[in-house]
Amino acid sequence: MAEIALRLFGGENAIENAIGNVISTKLAEKRALSHALTGDKLVRETGVSPSALPIDVEDVQGLIFRGYGTLHAACYVLLQLGDAAEARAWLAQLWPEIARGVPAAEQSAVHVAFTYAGLRALGLPAAALDGFSRSFSDGMIDEHRSRFLGDTQRSAPEHWSWGGPNQPAAHAVLMLFAKDEAALTQLQTSMRQAWLAGGITELTTLQAAPLRATEHFGFADGISQPAIEGYHPAPSDLHLVKSGEFLLGYPNEYGEYTERPLLDAALDPKALLPLDVEGSAQRDLGRNGSYLVFRQLRQDVPAFRRALEERTCNPDGTPNLAARDALAARMVGRWQSGASLVVAQYGDDASKAKQNEFRYHDEDPEGLKCPIGAHVRRANPRDALPPGPGSERSLAVNHKHRLIRRGRSYGEPLPEGVTDDQDRGLYFIAVNADISRQFEFIQHSWLVDPRFNSLSNEADPLLSAQPSNAFSVPHEPVRARYTGLPRFVTVAGGAYFFMPGIRALRFLAELTP
Amino acid sequence: MPHQEPLTVVAKVDPTRLASLAHVMDAMRHDPAHNDVLPFGALPDCHFGRVLFLPESEDLQGRAIAPQLLMLSDCDGPVGPHLEALVDRAQGGIDRLFGNCEDFPKLNGQGASRAQRLDFLRKKSVHVKASYVHRPGRSVEQIRREAQLRDALETFVDAHGLTNLAPLEARKQLRAHVKSTPALSWALEPAPGVDLGYRIRNALDAATLPLGLIAFGPVVLPAALVLLILIRLQELRDPAPHIRPTPEHVRELAALEDFVAQSGYTAGGLLKPGWVRRATVATLLPVIGWGTRHLFSSDSLAGVTSIHFARWIPLDQGRRVVFVSNYDGSVESYNNDFIDLVSWGLNLIFSNGYQYPKTQWLVQGGATREQEFKDYLRRHQIPTPVWYSAYPQLTAPNVVRNAKLRAGLHGYMSESEARRWLKLL
Repeated sequence: MAEIALRLFGGENAIENAIGNVISTKLAEKRALSHALTGDKLVRETGVSPSALPIDVEDVQGLIFRGYGTLHAACYVLLQLGDAAEARAWLAQLWPEIARGVPAAEQSAVHVAFTYAGLRALGLPAAALDGFSRSFSDGMIDEHRSRFLGDTQRSAPEHWSWGGPNQPAAHAVLMLFAKDEAALTQLQTSMRQAWLAGGITELTTLQAAPLRATEHFGFADGISQPAIEGYHPAPSDLHLVKSGEFLLGYPNEYGEYTERPLLDAALDPKALLPLDVEGSAQRDLGRNGSYLVFRQLRQDVPAFRRALEERTCNPDGTPNLAARDALAARMVGRWQSGASLVVAQYGDDASKAKQNEFRYHDEDPEGLKCPIGAHVRRANPRDALPPGPGSERSLAVNHKHRLIRRGRSYGEPLPEGVTDDQDRGLYFIAVNADISRQFEFIQHSWLVDPRFNSLSNEADPLLSAQPSNAFSVPHEPVRARYTGLPRFVTVAGGAYFFMPGIRALRFLAELTP
Repeated sequence: MPHQEPLTVVAKVDPTRLASLAHVMDAMRHDPAHNDVLPFGALPDCHFGRVLFLPESEDLQGRAIAPQLLMLSDCDGPVGPHLEALVDRAQGGIDRLFGNCEDFPKLNGQGASRAQRLDFLRKKSVHVKASYVHRPGRSVEQIRREAQLRDALETFVDAHGLTNLAPLEARKQLRAHVKSTPALSWALEPAPGVDLGYRIRNALDAATLPLGLIAFGPVVLPAALVLLILIRLQELRDPAPHIRPTPEHVRELAALEDFVAQSGYTAGGLLKPGWVRRATVATLLPVIGWGTRHLFSSDSLAGVTSIHFARWIPLDQGRRVVFVSNYDGSVESYNNDFIDLVSWGLNLIFSNGYQYPKTQWLVQGGATREQEFKDYLRRHQIPTPVWYSAYPQLTAPNVVRNAKLRAGLHGYMSESEARRWLKLL
């Protein structure tokens, strides 16, 4: 009778999954049970909260947890694999060198991630490839995706300098971090010998600029990052997001496991991969891995300054730099120091640069402090959107659309009052477990869509994909509106990568075709 | 001002004329607004329109389901005059399109008469019991004019600043501008809303469900409880395999999406076998229709604010249901809204569909199994190349804000009301 009741009330999956997971020791049994259950169901059945599920930190590439603020030099090498066996031999040498979640890399760090074409070039069979997400297997440059992401006109993939339809396909990105340029060069040299020996072609090396306090438009960047539940400490639940949003094989914000490549055990005869935590007896190639969204965003600093100066100049036509920077801050949603307009309404205040516990609806429902259309308010609206702006429900929806950003600037900073045509910008690198629900949703529905949050004709003022774009700054009694803003940021390259866990790297290196 | 009604024409396609139909639909897809078959854009009372083709298939028992042609529109009602206007405008286009269907009058080298066309379309019209209108009473003309009003007011504010004014003074200047602009003077009058006859009928209709429950409750409620238990027992056994859509199918759908502010959504599928599910759907559709008319009739379908119009169409003697909507933004964001805001409502009807993700007690689970649900919907989505919108650049919240902007031009306002109203700009 009790069993019938349990079945009626929805416990059947839990029971079945748990049965599939019985392991001899009591501890393992308990872990298997808790792994077999998901999210809300888990709490109901066992009283164990999903956050109590330990993250297998040693098996995760460390970049997912940290951005290496003390490793000032970095570069990203795009590689094209040649012979599959040679490439696997290269990977077999490489994987033990990859920086893990623990111990934290201090002197240098090496990371590697693969495109869909790259995984195929390594010899991963179709049955395994089929398990990856559609966004990843389609890639960043299919026609619908370009329209959807705003990669049109000058940002269209046919104009890209890498990753576009006219370039050789990138298979892997090798990400190198070191204390300084000299150490980076050394690391690069030793890595190059290895990839050359593996029959691998270097397509291009994207050289990041030495870490600086601000990006090229003059703003501190990368301030608001989600905290991974079970790993990062967090002062509140504002930024605390389930690990499954950033790591495959863990419960996400829906209490579900995001789709990931699960392999029949026969494909992993050495049992190198972890078991599917949902209890299917398959091997999980995705677990402890994640997807990287990599985009080269070219920033037109002279155009940015000029457009803002034209709109804020003194009555006699001379530039008013303070007014210009204030407008720039409204477009960004933060002051140059990083202080939010919500916590520092009237001017920059570096002492508030780290204050990131604010909510928009609570403190600024009408956007009088920070405009509704400001870049950071669009990219992470916190509690500002329906359902019930200001409510926990609103925040819960927001949690389903977060990114960990690991990007760095490239190119020389442009001094004030100078104009040049040098290439500079941002290597935008984001970590997410569901490209479609996280990066693509944010890019399309929050940044590119000119009707975001009931606005009428306002795409993101920095990315401003629309030529007819406007940007309005709420005021009393009526808003100020800036029209005819040009496009300051163009996309110059990009690809989706899969960043495998360490065991998955070894599995790939030891594939037997 | 009229309320809005859905026109639903369902006709079986003559299996020997599939190529001819495909040819006609191809001619329409390049310009659904102004093609020479059925120019939706020439109908001033038409909010949204679409023509879609359901290919031949079979049900779970292996019985054949004939190919069908659907013509749908959302019009400023009633639907009778709309259908006449449509026939008068399309003329021979009706023959070209529906001449490929069974029961269409035989053409001997000349066109069908107006009466023949109307007669055919009326016979093939289906009354749907469950449909949704974002806000009854807002006509195409009103929505378009209010968008023009916004543009005019935005431009006026851009030019004149209105800075340093008290809110009431700023409003006064905006009103004066509207008054002095002949093309905008209509805006000083409030929007008419639905007419009295509709309101009376609507009020009577609102009473039917509660009165029915009082009168027949002692019979209906126990019956509903039995049905629910039968559903729960079936839920334990119903297959719910997680099947992903094919890349080709997704590509075909995606090629039609994200061009303008809205997209047309069509999804359809077979019900689970047996009378229980069929009875459930037959019972729920009128209840959902009542709910959309009386609980969700002001700019939100149970919390989802991104839908302009929607309807549920039972087909093939209740073996299949097709869901049709006109929604804002991307499919991803639309599906996320379903899951985050109204998973129970989606489950009510969709969970009766074959292979739907596992539910409990009809409303729990299902859509909250995010990936399974998204894949199920994508698999059942039907490409809709012939789709028309009368205001493709406006989201439903845009329409609502424009209406509020217009409404605020009329009548008395306090200082704080004026302050809030000006925030609509």
